[in-house]
Amino acid sequence: MEATPGIRVENLYKHFGEGETLVRVIEGANFEVYKGELVALIAPSGAGKTTLLMMIGCVEEPTSGTIWLGDEKVYENRWLTKETRKIRREKIGFIFQAHYLIPFLNVIENVTLVPQTNGMSEKEANKIAMELLEYFDIGDKARSMPSELSGGQNQRVAIARALANKPQIILADEPTAALDTERSVAVVKMLKKIAIEQNVAVIMVTHDEAMLPLCDRILKIEDKKVVSKEVPASKDII
Amino acid sequence: MINLARKDVEHSLGKFLITAMGVGMLLGIVLIMIGVYRGMIIDAEVLLDDIGADVWVVQEDTLGPFAESSRVHEDLRDTVRVIDGVKQAEALTFQNTQLPKNPKPIRVMAVGFDPFGTVNPINPKRIIEGRGLERSHYEMVVTDKTGYHVGDIIRLMRHNYHVVGVTHGSVSSGGDPLIYVSLKDAQELQFSYSNNRIRTDRARGIEGAESHMVNAVVARIRPGYGIDEVAKGIEKSLHKSVYTADQQRWILTKNVIETAAKQIGMFTGILVIVSTIIIALIIYTMTLEKMKEIAIMKLIGLPNWMIIKMIGQETLLLGILAFIFANLFSHLIYTKFPKRVVLEIPDAWLLFAVVLVASLLASLAGIKKVISADPQAAIGG
Repeated sequence: MEATPGIRVENLYKHFGEGETLVRVIEGANFEVYKGELVALIAPSGAGKTTLLMMIGCVEEPTSGTIWLGDEKVYENRWLTKETRKIRREKIGFIFQAHYLIPFLNVIENVTLVPQTNGMSEKEANKIAMELLEYFDIGDKARSMPSELSGGQNQRVAIARALANKPQIILADEPTAALDTERSVAVVKMLKKIAIEQNVAVIMVTHDEAMLPLCDRILKIEDKKVVSKEVPASKDII
Repeated sequence: MINLARKDVEHSLGKFLITAMGVGMLLGIVLIMIGVYRGMIIDAEVLLDDIGADVWVVQEDTLGPFAESSRVHEDLRDTVRVIDGVKQAEALTFQNTQLPKNPKPIRVMAVGFDPFGTVNPINPKRIIEGRGLERSHYEMVVTDKTGYHVGDIIRLMRHNYHVVGVTHGSVSSGGDPLIYVSLKDAQELQFSYSNNRIRTDRARGIEGAESHMVNAVVARIRPGYGIDEVAKGIEKSLHKSVYTADQQRWILTKNVIETAAKQIGMFTGILVIVSTIIIALIIYTMTLEKMKEIAIMKLIGLPNWMIIKMIGQETLLLGILAFIFANLFSHLIYTKFPKRVVLEIPDAWLLFAVVLVASLLASLAGIKKVISADPQAAIGG
C-alpha cells in the first residue's frame, strides 16, 4: 500500500522582523511526513524547531510557502481558513515538554474537552477517554486533578488528550525532555505505536540523540533548511 | 459539555467566595451609605408627619423651630383657634436637651405638648411599650434608642420624670431621639432658670423669666377651607410667619438638612465610583490570572466563544454573589447604626445594575486581552 502524506510542506519560509532586525529562521523547507510514521525533528537550540512545529500546527503564521495537512491545504502564502483553531482542534494533537493540562479540570475532563468541543457527546467522549487512560495505565486516575498526579502520569494524560480527538497529526515538542531515559524510551515507543496503530503522522522535536534510533526518520534543520536523514544504525538503546 | 466557569469556580471555591464576600462587603457599605441618606430624609419628616398639622405659626421672620429659634406666646394658640377656618390649634415646644445616662448623657429633642389637647405628636403606632402622656406633669415618653424603659425615673433640672411609654423610630430632623413631656414641663425645662440664676437675676434687677412661651403653634384646618388661604389670613392678622405643612417640609428637607444630605449623597456617589473601579479591577485581575490556562485552551483549539463564556459566567456569578453578600451584610449591620438607615429594594437593584454593567465592562477589557493572547505563551514561545 502506498504511504499517504499526513504533512506536506513546500517552499516554507519564516522570517521575523524586517530591515536590520530581519531574522531568517526557515528558508525554503520542503518535506513530507507520512501517516504511520514517527519522524524526529532535530537541530541546535534556537534553530527554529519549535517555530517549524508551530507553523505546521497552525499556531505561528509562516512568511510564505504551502502547508498541507492530510488532504487539506491549510496555508498558501496566507491561511486558507480563518478557523485555524478548528484545524488544530480537529486534526492535530499537541504534546509538549510539560503537560500543560488545564489545572481546574480533572483528568477525564482534560482529555474529553476537545472532543466535546468538536461536538462529540459526553458519553462517547468519556468512553474514548477511559479507553485511552486505561491504555496508558492511568484509568484509576480519571477523576483526579492534575495537581494530584506525578509528572509522568500528567505527561501520559497530556498524550491521551492529544489522541482523544483522533488526530491525523501529532506534534510533540520535546515530550521526553523532563523524563529519565527509561520513561523517555517508553514515551517514544508509545508514540511509535500510536503512529502505526492509528495511522497518524508524528513529528517529535528532540534533543536526545538516544531517542533517534526509535524513530523512522530524522528531519534536521541545517542552514535554515530542512533535510531528511536516515536514523542511526545503532539500536543499542532499544 | 463541560462548563469551564463552574469547574474553575469549584477549583478555587474558597478564593472565589472570599473575593465575592469582599466585594459584597464593599457594596454593603455603599448600600448602608445610601440608607443613611434615605434615613436623613425620612428622619427629617418623622416629627412633621406625626404632628400632622396643616399650618405652622411661628415667630415673625423666622423659618420656625426646626430651622432657627422661634418664640411665640402660648396664648397665641387661643387667638389662632378663633380664626375662621381653624379647626384645632395647639402650642408646641421643641428643645434639645441631655438625658442623664451612663457612661455619657444622651442628646435628645424634647417635644412639649398639651396631653389633653387636640394635637398629639406621639404617633400611637410608634408606642411599643406603655402609653402616652396622661398627666400634666412629670411624665415622659421616650424613644427606645434612649435605652430607657417604662418605670424608669429620669431627673431633669429640679424634677423626676416617670417614663410611662416607649416609642420606636421617633427622631428629630437631626436624627436625635425624641422624648415627649407635657407642655408645662417643657416650658419649665426650656424657659425656667435654676434657683441660683433667679437669685442672680433678681440681684441685677431682672424680674422673673417669661415662661409662658412656646416655639410654635400648629393648627388643623376645617374641611372646605383652603390651607393656603387660612395660612395667609393668620399671617396677615397676627404678624407671624405662617407655613403650611408642605412649606415646613420644604424648609426641613431643603434648608435644614440639605447640606448634610448633599454631603452624604456626594460621599455615597464617590463610594459607588470607587467600588465600581475596585470591582472592575478585581474582575480584570481574575481574568489575567487565567492567561496561562487560556493560552493552553487556545493552543489546543478551543474557540473564543467558550473562553468568553467562561469569563462572562464567572463575572456574572461574582456579581450575583457579591450582591447577595452585600444585602446580607447590610441587613445584618444596619440596625447597629446610631441614626436611621433605610434600606430600600429599588436602591439595591439599582446598585446591582451599576455593578453588573461595571463588571461586564471590566470583563470586556479582560476578554479583549484574552482574545489577543498568543497561544504560544502557554509553552513560553
